[in-house]
Amino acid sequence: MSTAELVALMLTDGRLPTGGHTQSAGLEPAVRAGLGADGKQLADVTTYARDRLHTVTRVEAAVAVLARYITHSHQSEGLRLVEGAWAARTSSQVLRGVSRRQGRAYLRLAGRVWPEVLEHLQADSEVPRPIVIGVIGAVTGLSAEQVARIIAYDDVQSVVSASLKLLPVDPAEAATWLAGLHDDIEELVADVSPLTDIEKIPANGAPLIDQFAQNHATERMRLFHA
Amino acid sequence: MHETRSFRLGVAGPVGTGKSSLIATVCRELADELRLGVITNDIYTDEDARLLRSAGVLDPDRIRAVETGACPHTAIRDDVTPNLIAVEDLERDFAPLDVVLVESGGDNLTATFSPALVDAQIFVLDVAGGGDVARKGGPGIARADLLIVNKTDLAPYVGVDVEQMVKDASEARDGKPVIALSRTDPASVAELTEWVRTMTAHVRTGGHTPVDPGPMAPHSHVGEDGTLITHVHSH
Ligand SMILES: Nc1nc2c(ncn2[C@@H]2O[C@H](COP(=O)(O)OP(=O)(O)O)[C@@H](O)[C@H]2O)c(=O)[nH]1
Ligand SMILES: [Mg+2]
Repeated sequence: MSTAELVALMLTDGRLPTGGHTQSAGLEPAVRAGLGADGKQLADVTTYARDRLHTVTRVEAAVAVLARYITHSHQSEGLRLVEGAWAARTSSQVLRGVSRRQGRAYLRLAGRVWPEVLEHLQADSEVPRPIVIGVIGAVTGLSAEQVARIIAYDDVQSVVSASLKLLPVDPAEAATWLAGLHDDIEELVADVSPLTDIEKIPANGAPLIDQFAQNHATERMRLFHA
Repeated sequence: MHETRSFRLGVAGPVGTGKSSLIATVCRELADELRLGVITNDIYTDEDARLLRSAGVLDPDRIRAVETGACPHTAIRDDVTPNLIAVEDLERDFAPLDVVLVESGGDNLTATFSPALVDAQIFVLDVAGGGDVARKGGPGIARADLLIVNKTDLAPYVGVDVEQMVKDASEARDGKPVIALSRTDPASVAELTEWVRTMTAHVRTGGHTPVDPGPMAPHSHVGEDGTLITHVHSH
C-alpha cells in the first residue's frame, strides 16, 4: 500500500529522476559572488540556506500548500490564480523559467507515477515546480505540512549537496549543517501549512538571490543550471 | 512509431575522442538527405553546441544544449529527463525530424545511454587513447550498436596498429560493426554515413529493437554442475 510518508520520501529523494542534479538552489552564483570565499567562510552556506527559508523558499512552500488546498477543493480556475500569485512574487524572469522547467520534469514523471495529477494539470506543460508538488500532494494524500516540508527540505538539501561540488566541504560537515537547519524548516512548515487563502501567500523576496540568478543565466562556465 | 518521433541516436565515448566532430561530419554529409537535429550534453554550459553551430553544418536552431550539472553519466543513464524533454521539444519544433543525434557529455568508458533515451548508440574511441583500450572492453565497446575507432590518421604518431585495434574490438563485439574512422579519409566517412542511413531506415520500419549495452562487463561464474559459465547480462 502506498502511504503519504513513502510518497514524501520519494519526492525528496535526489535519486528521483527529475533532473535535480542540475540544480544548486542558487548556491553556484552565490559562491561566484563571494560566498564561502577562499574556503574560509564555509558556514556561510548554512546562512545562505536559512536566508532562503525565510524568503524565496517560504514563498515556494506556501504556493505548494495552496496548490494542494485548491486541488482538494476542486476550484478549476484556482490553480491559475495560485500560479499568478507565484509569478507576482517571483520577480526574476530567470528563476520563473527555472521553476517552470523543473516543474515540467516533475509533471512528466508524476503523470506516469500518479496519473491522477493529469486531471488537474495539462501534460507536458511548464507549470511552476511548487504547483506540481502541491497537486501531487493532493492526489497522493499528503498533508499540507508534508508538502511544505518537502519544498523546504529539498531546497536546503540542494544547497548543501551543491556545496560539496562547489566548495572544499567535508560531507559529514555538510550533513551537520543540514541537521542544524531542522528547526528553521519546521518553523517554516508551521507558518505556511495552515494557509488556505491565496492572498495570504507571503511575499518575501531576496533581491540579491534574484540578481545572482540573472547573472548566472549568462555565465559561460557553470556547473549547475541554476 | 509516432509520426513526429525521430530516430534517436546516441553518441557516447570518453572526452576528446571526437564525438562532436563525428556529429559535425554526419550533419555535413547527410543534412541534405535527412532532417536532422542535435542535442549536446555539456558538463560546463553549451560549449559543444556552440562549436557545432559555428561549424555551419546544420541550422543553428536545430542544435540544442542540455546542462548536466557535473553529472554527464546521470544525464544519459539514471535520469534522462532533461535530455528527453530536449529531444521531444526539438522533434515538436522541427517536426518531422528523421534523426536526432544526442552527444553525451563524455566521461569514462563505462557510460552508455539508457534505451529510454536513444534507439541506438555509437561508442567512440580514438587511437590516441592507446591500442589496448578496445581489447580491455567495457559495455559501450562491447555492445554499442556501432563502435568507432577514430583519428586513424594519428596512428603512426602514437604507435598504434589500427588493424590490430579493430581486430581486438571486433572480437570483443561478437561481430557487431566497427569502423576505423578519420575525417581525412573519405572512404571511412562514407562507411559511417552508410551505417547511419541504413540504421535510420531500419528503425523507421520498426526492424530495430534498442539494445542496452548495460553497465556490466561480461563475467564468469561457476554453474550448479561445476562448469564455468561466462556470459553477459542482457537487461
Ligand atoms: N587527427 C584527427 N583529429 C580529430 C579527428 N576527429 C576529431 N579530432 C580532434 O579531436 C579533438 C576532440 O574532438 P571532439 O569532437 O571535440 O571530441 P569530443 O570531446 O569527443 O566531442 C579535436 O581537437 C578534434 O579536432 C580525426 O579524425 N583526426
Ligand atoms: Mg564534444
